[in-house]
Amino acid sequence: MSLYKNAVKKPITTMMVFTAVIVMGIYSLIYLPVDLYPEMDPPYISVITSYSGANASDIEINVTRPLEDMFNTVDNLKEIYSVSSDNVSVITLEFDWEADLNEASNDVRDAIDLVYGFLPEGVERPSIFKFDMSMIPILFYAITAEESYPGLGKILEERIINPLNRIEGIGTTGLMGSPRRSIYVEADPVKLAAYNLTIEQLGNTIRSENMNMPSGNIRMGMMDYQLRVEGELAESYELNNLMVGHFQGSSVFLSDVAQVRDTLRDVALDERIDGSQGVRMMVMKQSGANTVTVARDVKNAIAELQRDLPPDITVREIIDTSVFISDSVNNLSQTMLWALFFVILVVLFFLGKWRATFIVILTIPISLIVSFIYLFITDGSLNIISLASLSIALGMVVDDAIVVLENISRHIERGTSPREAAIYATNEVWLSVIVTTLVIVAVFFPLTLVPGMTGVLFSQLGWIVTITVTASTIAAITLTPMLASQLLELKKRVERPGRFSHLKTIEPFLVWFEGSYEKTIRVALKNKKKVVAGGIAIFIGSLFLLGLISTEFMPESDESRLNASIELTTGLRVEETMKVARELEDIIRERYPEALVMAVSSGSDDAGGISALFSQRGPNSIDITMRLLPVSERYRSIWEIADDLRRQLELIPEIVEYSVTTSGGGFGSNTVDVEIYGFDFNVTGALAHQIRDAIRAIPGAEDVQISRKDDRPELQVVLDRNKLAQNGLNTAMVSSAIRNRVTGMTASMLREQGDEYDIIVRYSEDTRSTISDIESLVMTNATGSRISLGEIGRVEEYWSPPNIERKSRERIVTVSAVPSGIALGDLAQEINRVISSVDVPPGVMINVGGAYEDMAEGFMDLGLLLLISIILVFLVMASQFESFIMPFVIMFSIPFSFTGVILALFITNTTLSIIAALGAVLLIGIVVKNGIVLIDYINLMRDRGHPLNEAIAISGKLRLRPVLMTAATTTFAMLPLALSRGEGSEIWSPMGISLIGGLVFSTMVTLVMVPVIYGIFSRRGERDRIQKIRNKFKFMNGNGS
Amino acid sequence: MKAVMVIFNQANTERVEFLFDRLNIRGYTWWSEVKGRGSESGDPRMGTHTWPELNSAAMTIIPDEQVDVLLDNVRKLDELNKEVGVRAFVWNIEKAY
Repeated sequence: MSLYKNAVKKPITTMMVFTAVIVMGIYSLIYLPVDLYPEMDPPYISVITSYSGANASDIEINVTRPLEDMFNTVDNLKEIYSVSSDNVSVITLEFDWEADLNEASNDVRDAIDLVYGFLPEGVERPSIFKFDMSMIPILFYAITAEESYPGLGKILEERIINPLNRIEGIGTTGLMGSPRRSIYVEADPVKLAAYNLTIEQLGNTIRSENMNMPSGNIRMGMMDYQLRVEGELAESYELNNLMVGHFQGSSVFLSDVAQVRDTLRDVALDERIDGSQGVRMMVMKQSGANTVTVARDVKNAIAELQRDLPPDITVREIIDTSVFISDSVNNLSQTMLWALFFVILVVLFFLGKWRATFIVILTIPISLIVSFIYLFITDGSLNIISLASLSIALGMVVDDAIVVLENISRHIERGTSPREAAIYATNEVWLSVIVTTLVIVAVFFPLTLVPGMTGVLFSQLGWIVTITVTASTIAAITLTPMLASQLLELKKRVERPGRFSHLKTIEPFLVWFEGSYEKTIRVALKNKKKVVAGGIAIFIGSLFLLGLISTEFMPESDESRLNASIELTTGLRVEETMKVARELEDIIRERYPEALVMAVSSGSDDAGGISALFSQRGPNSIDITMRLLPVSERYRSIWEIADDLRRQLELIPEIVEYSVTTSGGGFGSNTVDVEIYGFDFNVTGALAHQIRDAIRAIPGAEDVQISRKDDRPELQVVLDRNKLAQNGLNTAMVSSAIRNRVTGMTASMLREQGDEYDIIVRYSEDTRSTISDIESLVMTNATGSRISLGEIGRVEEYWSPPNIERKSRERIVTVSAVPSGIALGDLAQEINRVISSVDVPPGVMINVGGAYEDMAEGFMDLGLLLLISIILVFLVMASQFESFIMPFVIMFSIPFSFTGVILALFITNTTLSIIAALGAVLLIGIVVKNGIVLIDYINLMRDRGHPLNEAIAISGKLRLRPVLMTAATTTFAMLPLALSRGEGSEIWSPMGISLIGGLVFSTMVTLVMVPVIYGIFSRRGERDRIQKIRNKFKFMNGNGS
Repeated sequence: MKAVMVIFNQANTERVEFLFDRLNIRGYTWWSEVKGRGSESGDPRMGTHTWPELNSAAMTIIPDEQVDVLLDNVRKLDELNKEVGVRAFVWNIEKAY
């Protein structure tokens, strides 16, 4: 018993099976997380090694290089990057996307074990750090305060962060720029000298006074008492009364030599939100948690918690990544509904019957729901890739059902009972339905095999379309016949159709259209050469247009946020940086009324944690984050605003470098990187500057930056070893003495209500702010007498490179540029042209990479994909037609689909991105399917004995509707995708545009070119075949067998 | 006793079954898939890609007086739709066990 026979004979079973599928699908849909992209862990592992006291080049030679050499042998390694800066070496290993990172990190750990013994003593054990998508914050809040500002850190910690961490799915919550209380004991060096005291003595006194000590226990009578000495300071002012020494018989108190200041820690990072002081709060989710629900929970919680805060504290959202996600997901869902609507219209237009339309349309939800089950099983998420894939599949899933239903209706119209018609009509077409599906699968399945980052995106598309289309085929040969047998009725045509019925309105039009198409084919068949020549001319003509279309990697999307990183003169102190920041705030407030929230941070947080290792921020950097009005509520696009901001930044003389980015991570990276490999800093540095200036001259090149920062001014204390020896001192002792006097010595902690605050002892600021102040720092030598720093060394001004970057185990400097107003591919071309005119010194190598490299790789992958798809499609068709020629005839329509793509991109002025190119690849399957429908029928007609030209003309006429119908359902399903203008649409509309363009154009061409080419190829074959058969059976001629 | 062979488009299966039932024809031999084509008109029924439809055949041995009733009804069935098609052929039974 075949599948369809069973399905028709057991309608209830069939219905139950599909109901089960629907129930499971809805269950899956409810539990599917919503995200922007499919889950993907970037294959990076960082190894962080600290070696205190070493400068960048020491680190490079002694730490980075031995480690790099060892890592080079790790499996699946793609590239090694490293940055060696003072005290720390950060090596980043990039692996293949397919690599198992757990295994890779074990390999890395083994490599570290092997080499660790050879590293200099004092190098701390390297720590391995795996990058995770969950480290990207999903929410940014700006929290401003007036009177409560000094205590803000503590308030937020208690009332916001701790409650937030209880929410399910929350990873970590971090505060940036929160003020911290410190108690400074600032001593006057002159008074210290007068009383014969040192900083260390002060510190030790505070340390030994500020403690609680258990001192044993006493048994008294029947009891056992604990004995304790309670000496801890309760308040900071008590410090003043500590006795720090004796001088000429009287006690010296701390207040005699120093001033105690209970205040906020020195500013290193200044956070301003819309100009007022505040902090930034970042919320990270756990890996795998649903961004949208976590963000919603956090927002609800914060709205609740905010009520308990002092009234002067305001919490405002700067960035909410979930908004973009849910907006684009909603947008795509809407797009899909529109697609569904259009497909219903198209089916109704062609079939003209409500019941038939209902049966056909029912396959859409069923096939889509199957893909929800797939996503649920594979831990996938509803994201823009999966939804767009569904949108693409939507127009294709009805095709099979249409073919089956059409055949069933034909049988019913001949008077067969619906039940029998359903069985026998399905029997006639089930094989060809499966073959056309195979063609689609042949194109989409290879997508699941694409390697690399593009592969992660494409594989979901590949799986979803493959699964959806397969599900639709299964539904078409089971559910559709079953429903047809139950719902369609055996009755004569309505005698008198209504005035506006399908029969009176659309049907005559379709009949007229079929007639004129038949005439067209007949004319074309008489002018084969002209038609072919015309076709080739159109195709070649379109190739010229290709030159006018610009290329880019991934289309950027307007996420309504903007980030600017600004670098001022190196070595600038943070107070100066803040002045520029205030100036920028004024400019932004004046010029960009679109900005809803603006957060400006100047300087860097010294205790910023691990993230500080990855971003090269210093006291001279400014970071501006802006959230803008939603796309629909403003006139200027994010790119226009970014460009304008760049012009403004250009005008401020203090700004050395800047970059304005408009994307919030993901795949928006859009830079061309010029990589300069070479050992000599001076040579590569000069070359980098030369190239930077040349690139800056290119119109459209923005944010041109050199990765190696300018040499930093440094004050170096050069010690005289002889004098050190005479005084019995060594470098470590001197450097710690200097540190205690300048930065301060953390003597102890003040404990108050469970919180601890540093007590820092140091020289008062006015006695340590010039070179001569430093030279006159006083310390004790081995004999206890006092000497000044000037006696054992001198202070010199010096320039040092702040970091040394390496890639592929060679020193590298990168000059990067971002295209604005021109396409990435064009910019890369221009840059290549500029570079070729630059003199490259010997020993230096230049390579152009960045997103441009990814783009080239992506297009290579797609080219390969195109090849594989064509081969697979050929295989399927050759075996279906049992012929080598027929597939070629059908494939003639493929070049014209590319012509259509090029035309569509050209007319709509869309750039050729990976996504648009992917559309072109996918077209193969859809276009070929059209060809198969037509050619198959021509073959049929010829086998049934019609002469060649007649067969072609008749088939054309009869198959016009199915061809138009499949093309129209796919086109109209894609139309909302191509036209959508909302959040996230920039990413997918190019694919819609290229698919529609290619499909419309190739359908027009298929309908004329394919029959003509069939005619050309088959004329010979016809005569030969008859002759061949006659030669085979010679027995009738009386000779042979 | 006559043998009547009814050859018909598969799509008529249920109707032929009904026909036999109504006429109280109990005994028959049934081939559910046979190939063939008409001598004058009608599409071939080959079960191939070119001619996807198939015929079925049923042979029944009935008393002489029932033959005309059966043929009459087969004609009525054929007239429902000529395209679908059904034919019946009659010959004598010489002996039977």
